[in-house]
Amino acid sequence: MAIKLYDYSLSGSCYKVRLLLDFLELDYEKRQMDFYPGREHRSLEFKQLNPLGQLPVLEDDGVRLRDAQAILCHLANKYDRSGQWLPRDPGSFGSVMMWLMFAGGELMAASAARLHDALGYDLDIEAARRNAHAAFRILDDHLTKREIEGGTWIVGEHPTLADIACFPYTALSSDGGIGREDYPALRNWLRAFHHLPKFKAMSGIAEFA
Amino acid sequence: MTQKADRWVAIGLDHQVQPGSSNPVMVDGFALAMWRPDGGPVNVWEDRCPHRGMRLSYGFVRGNVLRCIYHGWGYGSGGQCVSIPAHPDLTPPKTICANVFRSETRYGLVWTNLAETPLAALPDSGDGVEWTPVRSLYVNRPESTVRDGIVAVEEGNGSSVEADESTVTVRCAGGTVLLMAIQKVDENKTALHVVARGQGTSTSRERLALVERMELLRGQLETC
Amino acid sequence: MARTRDTVVLNEWVACGWPDKVAVGESYRTAIFGQDIEVARLGKDAFGIFELDEAGRRGRQLPVQVRYCCVFTTLGEPTRPLPEIAEFDEPDRRIASCGSVGVHTSPYRIIENFLDMAHFSFVHTDILGAEDRTEVLAYKTEHRRDVDEIWAIDCQFFQPAASRASKDGQMTTYAYRVMSPFSVMLYKNVFGDDTRNDAICVFVQPMQETECLAYMPMALVDPDSAMASIIDFQQTIFLQDRVILENQRPALLPLDPGREVPTRADASSIAFRRWLKAQNLQFGIYEKQAA
Repeated sequence: MAIKLYDYSLSGSCYKVRLLLDFLELDYEKRQMDFYPGREHRSLEFKQLNPLGQLPVLEDDGVRLRDAQAILCHLANKYDRSGQWLPRDPGSFGSVMMWLMFAGGELMAASAARLHDALGYDLDIEAARRNAHAAFRILDDHLTKREIEGGTWIVGEHPTLADIACFPYTALSSDGGIGREDYPALRNWLRAFHHLPKFKAMSGIAEFA
Repeated sequence: MTQKADRWVAIGLDHQVQPGSSNPVMVDGFALAMWRPDGGPVNVWEDRCPHRGMRLSYGFVRGNVLRCIYHGWGYGSGGQCVSIPAHPDLTPPKTICANVFRSETRYGLVWTNLAETPLAALPDSGDGVEWTPVRSLYVNRPESTVRDGIVAVEEGNGSSVEADESTVTVRCAGGTVLLMAIQKVDENKTALHVVARGQGTSTSRERLALVERMELLRGQLETC
Repeated sequence: MARTRDTVVLNEWVACGWPDKVAVGESYRTAIFGQDIEVARLGKDAFGIFELDEAGRRGRQLPVQVRYCCVFTTLGEPTRPLPEIAEFDEPDRRIASCGSVGVHTSPYRIIENFLDMAHFSFVHTDILGAEDRTEVLAYKTEHRRDVDEIWAIDCQFFQPAASRASKDGQMTTYAYRVMSPFSVMLYKNVFGDDTRNDAICVFVQPMQETECLAYMPMALVDPDSAMASIIDFQQTIFLQDRVILENQRPALLPLDPGREVPTRADASSIAFRRWLKAQNLQFGIYEKQAA
């Protein structure tokens, strides 16, 4: 099989890649990693595949990639005939990139809060929650404006990689003690994403919405 | 449960509560589930399933029924339990009921009254007037700071401002009227649900300008 | 929260770690029943556990047992011993330790959720239950007075993919066993072998009244699956439950039967709450009962 994903079921970052693989109906081999308590991703062997010691890692026909956002771009670029997931038109391309960076950057505070609360990671939890709320507010403000323009998705008229990248850690926010009471536009967007064909939930995200 | 005051409080923009959705709302530290069936008005219930206490705001809607995500117990619009999936042939006893509160829609806003016997009238901001929804804001400041802050900022903008227990009405110099309904979330957070009428409310560009103005207001209130 | 004054819970053995949590020569701090403790790993299976005062200084040394992939201690003088679980000694079994998962709720909510089958179709959809097969058939509950344990037997539920080893749906039979207010396990029939059961345990470390760590050691008949897959499966199930557990209100367990409405499917929860009430617990309970 051409595509191999080094995966952990509970990882929201791995879930970003699994979502796109399902949306594109791609077959792939899954190499299950003992992330916790085994910390296999921090082993010397795994660091030969990704020196950052992080998941996911994707291998595809001789190309090896780390970073969920980069992997999303690779898969969309190579396999998405429709061009929907990574639009190339000048009005959209940069915006999708901007929100991909945000998903791998500011939004990851919600992932930190979840790792602290669920798996006992030692970090500043108050700062993580505060930063997560700040990021959620930015996304909710953007989606509020999109609602007024008659749009559902982060960029343009249909879902893109921006939506896939931003979905997991916002949907999993309560795992880190981050409620969504203050974000009505965000909640509507989460629900719309949940109803996409070929969508599958993961642990911490309700199957039914 | 402590006695709840007999007054109406706005908890959201009506158009933003999507059909088939269940949403979490906190009013003065009390958790509510605001949900809408596939067709019909919004319901406001205590955010707690009577079975094992699971929050109904996590539930899912099928038709006119809100189902708890834990065991799938289904509740109809009046709060009555209509289905217990573990016992598909059982008619649920009539005593199994969600805790239902009064809710109304007016001025494009969803209002609720948490009193056991609500007698108060809904706030009056003029009948027969069409209000355009702007947005909800969640301000990390206590209610009194927010109320005083709006007056200070908007009077500074040259608007005339009237405030009462539930709302602040801002008559802007350019002819727009903003109605801001106040929801105390808890001691340190206040929500504002904003609708508008008059000048500058018809096109999407104008509505976006109002949204940006409200984001600016939120920032100003949070530096108080 | 300060250390609880509930002498009933103080006299129980509770989990406070798993052996490989830290390396030999290292230690970590944690809490049980509001009491700060330090756990030092002195050797492969040797631990020194100490109470800590407010300044973080070591005080009284506490008893230790290492069994079932967990490190246990107690703040009191237990009359109830650690349970006997023979499956952990069978040489052909896969013994899996899944670390610990933090949960913000009362320990008894975790036990009850583990006993419950009616949520399989909604919380563990397409794994432990199917959306179109939600019925919970009648089962029996017992209070076994000789060991003072609550048991639920003859439990059955239709499952699409009940374990790593099974591929198609099957009627799975379960027995549940509550060994203490903080420990529970289930026996699940092994796919393809009626004579044996997988054993899956949950040991709850109650740090504060509504802050716990859950340990999930398992003794499984499953020669083929990779250990990473076995652990992944169990963690997947538990993180699905965790969202529920953290969003039940109140977090403290109500014992007043009027407050939460059970049905026949909740027979094990009813037996469990009655048993807790008879022990006169206060810690983690919504209605503080007089000692």
